[in-house]
Amino acid sequence: MGKFIVVGERLSATAPSVNKAFTARDPEPIIQRAKQQLDAGAYYLDVNIGPAENDGPELMKWAVQLLQSEFDNVPLALDTANKAAIEAGISVYNRSKGKPIVNSADAAGRIEYIDLAAANDAIVIALCNGEGIAANNDERMAYCQTMLERGMEHGMEPTDLWFDPLFLVIKGMQDKQMQILECIKMISDMGLNSTGGLSNNSNGMPKHIRPIMDSAMVAMCMTCGLTSAIVNPNDLRLMETIKSCDVIKDNILYADSYLEI
Amino acid sequence: MPFNGKSGKFNASISAVEVGCGDKAIKIGGENVLPFYTFDAPIENSPKVGVMISDLGLENEPAGVKAYYEGCTTMADIARKAAAMPGADFVCLKLEGADPNGENKSTEDCMAVVKEVVDAIDAPLVIAGCKNGAKDDELLRKASEVAQGKNVIILAAKEENYKGIGAAAGLAYNQKVGAESAVDINLAKQLNVLLSQLGVAPANIVMHVGTATAGYGFEYVVSTMDRIKAAALSQDDKQLQMPIITPVGDETWNVKESMASEEDMPEWGSQEARGIGMEVSTAASVLASGSNAVILKHPTSVATISKMIKELM
Repeated sequence: MGKFIVVGERLSATAPSVNKAFTARDPEPIIQRAKQQLDAGAYYLDVNIGPAENDGPELMKWAVQLLQSEFDNVPLALDTANKAAIEAGISVYNRSKGKPIVNSADAAGRIEYIDLAAANDAIVIALCNGEGIAANNDERMAYCQTMLERGMEHGMEPTDLWFDPLFLVIKGMQDKQMQILECIKMISDMGLNSTGGLSNNSNGMPKHIRPIMDSAMVAMCMTCGLTSAIVNPNDLRLMETIKSCDVIKDNILYADSYLEI
Repeated sequence: MPFNGKSGKFNASISAVEVGCGDKAIKIGGENVLPFYTFDAPIENSPKVGVMISDLGLENEPAGVKAYYEGCTTMADIARKAAAMPGADFVCLKLEGADPNGENKSTEDCMAVVKEVVDAIDAPLVIAGCKNGAKDDELLRKASEVAQGKNVIILAAKEENYKGIGAAAGLAYNQKVGAESAVDINLAKQLNVLLSQLGVAPANIVMHVGTATAGYGFEYVVSTMDRIKAAALSQDDKQLQMPIITPVGDETWNVKESMASEEDMPEWGSQEARGIGMEVSTAASVLASGSNAVILKHPTSVATISKMIKELM
């Protein structure tokens, strides 16, 4: 009955201003975005430095130390395809507020990220995915099983693998949405944790629609047992929905001011 | 396979609140385990026992209480005797004479009593109002000022008067603020949120979450305390990590088991023994449910409960 964990997605090299700040090692824009997300209720912050092929380790170390010193050891998800960068980030990471999250592994080419997480006592986001997108839930759950076994062979607690069913875009894959919810339910029924880039569902929709669709999606997912999501915490409607669902699920105790805390 | 015992301690803990000054100061709270679960992790600050005295003196008290205070003629005498009661960790002065439906004593008269008691003892002090919201607002704001520098608990700020009392006790005069709700988990949390939003530091708040006498809807009290400790410890709910203080004596001495005379109820046995029984069983229960301090009246109850705490720690 843990509280839903919001991982803030806004420190991403895909955003030009963040990318520029990472490259120039300019702390201000990074700190500002981090603060906005934490003030809005993010618990973890995702730090996506992109592929970072040249200076990944050094950049990740810089980002981890910058954020943790500025925000009382805020827990972080280290998000890059550069394994050396993730290891470098963990080497300077303070885990007093939560283990680092390795973002991410899958059941094919990126399965070694599970080994990396295991070796570093980290959490890993495990995409229920092999080569190409899973066709159905049989495939998703087979991938889930493969990764779970891999983690346990390496001594991980099953709850340290956060399974990502892979949210699919509604515009184009509307008929697959219930599958995702069923997949979350199956993961939850196994007592496992789950997460994912939830706002992918509303990709391509008008800006004013996205918070509405994301809120509906998160509520339905939380019913099915989703335990975390990588989202934009500065989406007020979404955060209000998450807090309300946490109350309904008895994850947090209700008080009249529950939206303000 | 060998058995590996797992500790039931939590990663979250109840805040430790210091009351009083100098050598006699006490700390309540601070634990990261369920009540008395010392086998999971040490509980640094054992639950504390307070002695309640009233500004109305001894007139309405049971015989055993009167006997204990025999020879005391002033409030200062009574306070000193209460502080010296075997097993007592602190004193609670209740200003019940201020009640508009009772003696309706003026705030000035009450403050004279507060001053007398504050000057008489160096034991940690709790100052409780008369339970009338409007009168307490005036009374407890003033008491916060009169007891300045003594680090007392002001009991209590409620939903209707938390602003004035919270600002005076928690902000202006650096006292500890008691946040009172009536067996309502949501309101208990809400009041802590409101006091925090007012600017009172969480470390300066203690909760009085309401009580009843054992047997009088008491299961609601137990489930309230259980749920609060569960939220505080297992859900790391910062707005419920304040320690709990429970005034027990003024509830339990007002139920029929404690009040019916032996003439009326000969088959119930000694009236005083019944009263002590109700006070002790209620206090033991609220402590087992998570209270970090209880306030009692009778010297036998104080001795019994403090012995129980010692044996369980």
